[in-house]
Amino acid sequence: MKNSLKVERAKLGYTQQVLATKVQVSRQTINAIEKGDYNLSLILALKIAATFKCQTEDIFELEFDDWE
Amino acid sequence: MKTKFLFPYQFKKVGILFFVPSIVLVIDLLINSREPNFLNLSVFAMVDIPFMQDTTTFGWVVNNVYNEIVGLGLLVGLLFIAFSRLRTEDEYIVQIRLESLLWACYMNFFILFIAIVFVFDLAFLYVLYLNMFSILVFFIAKFYWTIYKTNKQVDEE
Repeated sequence: MKNSLKVERAKLGYTQQVLATKVQVSRQTINAIEKGDYNLSLILALKIAATFKCQTEDIFELEFDDWE
Repeated sequence: MKTKFLFPYQFKKVGILFFVPSIVLVIDLLINSREPNFLNLSVFAMVDIPFMQDTTTFGWVVNNVYNEIVGLGLLVGLLFIAFSRLRTEDEYIVQIRLESLLWACYMNFFILFIAIVFVFDLAFLYVLYLNMFSILVFFIAKFYWTIYKTNKQVDEE
């Protein structure tokens, strides 16, 4: 799954730690999501979208491999 | 998903306090087979099958409880270290914990497989002693190593 988390963070000037605090996870989790090492839960995706005041589809995008 | 059935964070230190003396005593017991005489006690046994003697089921027997005390100390120590919460618990940590547990199971039973094929007689009994605890050891090693690597990655960025 692709994501534009880093871009959205940069738009608002959030560090990984700031975003992590806002969505109640650790900085390691945000880092892992950005690197594509971790597929986050629906709840966390919705929290992140709510924090950036956009839709989840604006941040997260399915890739061909996700359908396997 | 919220994590269930984990000990509070502080229990990790308690676990280390149990583990360190227990592992020293276990190693001493395996090498020297010394048991203090004052620990020969009358204990309730669900089953007792002493060598070349009558079996006792649900009765009282005289047994030296030194190895039981040491074994319980080791078990409690490892359980507390393995299943204490981290300071920050979230879904990513839950996944790491689950993957580490799976890896530990595979590693534990792979070692047992090798031991069944290549280790015999009394030596295999020692393998079984270690096998009681090895899954926890593998889990602790894998889990905390993964957490360490993850933290190091974050610190480097």
